[in-house]
Amino acid sequence: MLATALSSARPYLAFARTSFLNILAYRARYFVGILTYFFNATVWYYIWRALFHEKGEGATLGGFTFPQMLTYVATGWALRSFYFNEVDRDIASQVREGRLAMTLIKPVDVQAMTLSQALGESAFRLVLFTVPIGLLLVLVYPVLPPVSPAALALYLLSGLLSALLVGAINFCVGLVAIRTTSILGVLRAKYLVLELLSGLLVPVAFFPEPVRKVLVWLPFLHMNDTPGRLWLGLATGADAARSLGLQAAWVVALLALGRLLWRATARRIEVQGG
Amino acid sequence: MSDPAVRVRDLVKTFEVTQKAPGLAGALKGLFRSETSTLRAVDRVSFDLARGEMVGYIGPNGAGKSTTIKMLTGILTPTSGEVTCLGFVPWRDRRAYARSIGVVFGQRTQLWWDIAVVESFQLLREIYGVSGADYERRMKVFDELLEIGRLLSQPVRKLSLGERMRCDLAASLLHEPPLLFLDEPTIGLDVVAKANVRAFLKEANRRLSTTVVLTTHDLDDIEELCERVVLIDHGQVLWDGSLRGLRDKHLPEARIRFDLPAPADGDPAELAVGPWRAARLSPGRYLLAVDKREASAPDVIREVVRSLPVLDLAVSEPDIEEVVARIYRENAALRRPDAPPASEGAAAGIVAHRGVRRG
Repeated sequence: MLATALSSARPYLAFARTSFLNILAYRARYFVGILTYFFNATVWYYIWRALFHEKGEGATLGGFTFPQMLTYVATGWALRSFYFNEVDRDIASQVREGRLAMTLIKPVDVQAMTLSQALGESAFRLVLFTVPIGLLLVLVYPVLPPVSPAALALYLLSGLLSALLVGAINFCVGLVAIRTTSILGVLRAKYLVLELLSGLLVPVAFFPEPVRKVLVWLPFLHMNDTPGRLWLGLATGADAARSLGLQAAWVVALLALGRLLWRATARRIEVQGG
Repeated sequence: MSDPAVRVRDLVKTFEVTQKAPGLAGALKGLFRSETSTLRAVDRVSFDLARGEMVGYIGPNGAGKSTTIKMLTGILTPTSGEVTCLGFVPWRDRRAYARSIGVVFGQRTQLWWDIAVVESFQLLREIYGVSGADYERRMKVFDELLEIGRLLSQPVRKLSLGERMRCDLAASLLHEPPLLFLDEPTIGLDVVAKANVRAFLKEANRRLSTTVVLTTHDLDDIEELCERVVLIDHGQVLWDGSLRGLRDKHLPEARIRFDLPAPADGDPAELAVGPWRAARLSPGRYLLAVDKREASAPDVIREVVRSLPVLDLAVSEPDIEEVVARIYRENAALRRPDAPPASEGAAAGIVAHRGVRRG
């Protein structure tokens, strides 16, 4: 049983590895990216500093002290550098350029292949991106350490789920984008929604109560807010378990949605050119 | 007789094409209402392929060749019709079926663009579960026949078209599939590269009895590789049979070229030879074309030699490109608006198929 599972996973490990190698061919682009992330975190550092300064020493905003807020921002951007992928854009361009045909002639599950490639990219990003960015942020700004070893472990687990979550969402978005003629429009809308609702730009605690009640039941805040609160110890015990449980449930639900969408889309795909 | 490797029945694929009116007014109109028309890319195509057969699937640009191949490889779902390849329905059993086929689209590559070729091969090895020993042995054969050994360490983007094509061919046969689809495998290749590719395909077909479906614009590919051709135009099969049969049916001509000593007063533009007439090609050189259904080439040659002081003589047949060009022209003439429609039943047929699919 285990042996069959392992042998059927082998091609997908190979996909992840190939994706890793493929990105290595473009490493120069990534070094520029490190600075981009650092600047983003810096901008938010100064915005929050100004806001907290207004309130006076030791003030809290939305239940966060200034060092907590800074840490929330820093862990958020570091995490984004890990989970970010462009699976959606890639699917859309594969369809547009007719390259999807080359995937379809292989005996592979397209969703599993896409996610393996996304995770391969994340592995690459972890080493060449997330770790240096994290170190840079810790050295330059007074980022709080995780409240406990357990909090760190939960943060890492949640971060991994975030990568799966983003992969699952992007696979769906890519399939929807195939059907519309304006792929860029769909992608831009997606980034706006994700960055706003994930807690990356503004902690979810700042949203009005009714909005927050809805957000808790949506997948987006689990991308950044959940791992951030775990790191800071703002979610512990039952709260932590519930958040992680919801995050995992969303991963499963969105993977299932992706499969349904794929089944509905594959039949309609008209491979261009050739 | 065993089951055919490929069985195609009444295969139809239609595409909706949006009609855009020209200019700004047209663009604005298109915002509210777009007119679509239906294009029948493949129109009731049927054929069988026996195991181990090599078939050329030919036709002019836009004839529906690639669309057919995409349906046979499971990429596209047909509008109607049946296909069974090696017992699979390609688009329905895509993943299981894909293990048994190899595909080369000459215009694209299945190799990863930015990484070394060998990494792509390693990935394909994992995808198809090829054992280490088989992998080594097959790569050795590929190197012998296609000389890809020294290309393996280079990224695909640095390879020439011919080099890339050799790698793609090897990649499509790494898992030794019983069925191979080649869509223009020699496009853009030079003479030497073409010869290599053809020799390789012949060898694969001989050694593994691979069934091969080959689409190409280069009819030399067909002449060298395929006993049988299926010729389509406007989505319909116009010919299914031997290449020789195609020639005998559409352009059964023998051409006798002969040289005569140049007369002092110049030679005539036309020359009577028995009941036939030869046309002057250049001073002293004539061509006599006879319909083989009306006279046998040896009889005509005898008459030429008997009645004229021939210095030199050569006999040839029209090459296959010419035959095919003539068929395309004839078919295009048939399809002109003032000509009677090829088949009234076509439109009705598709409606009926749709009805069946819905029910």
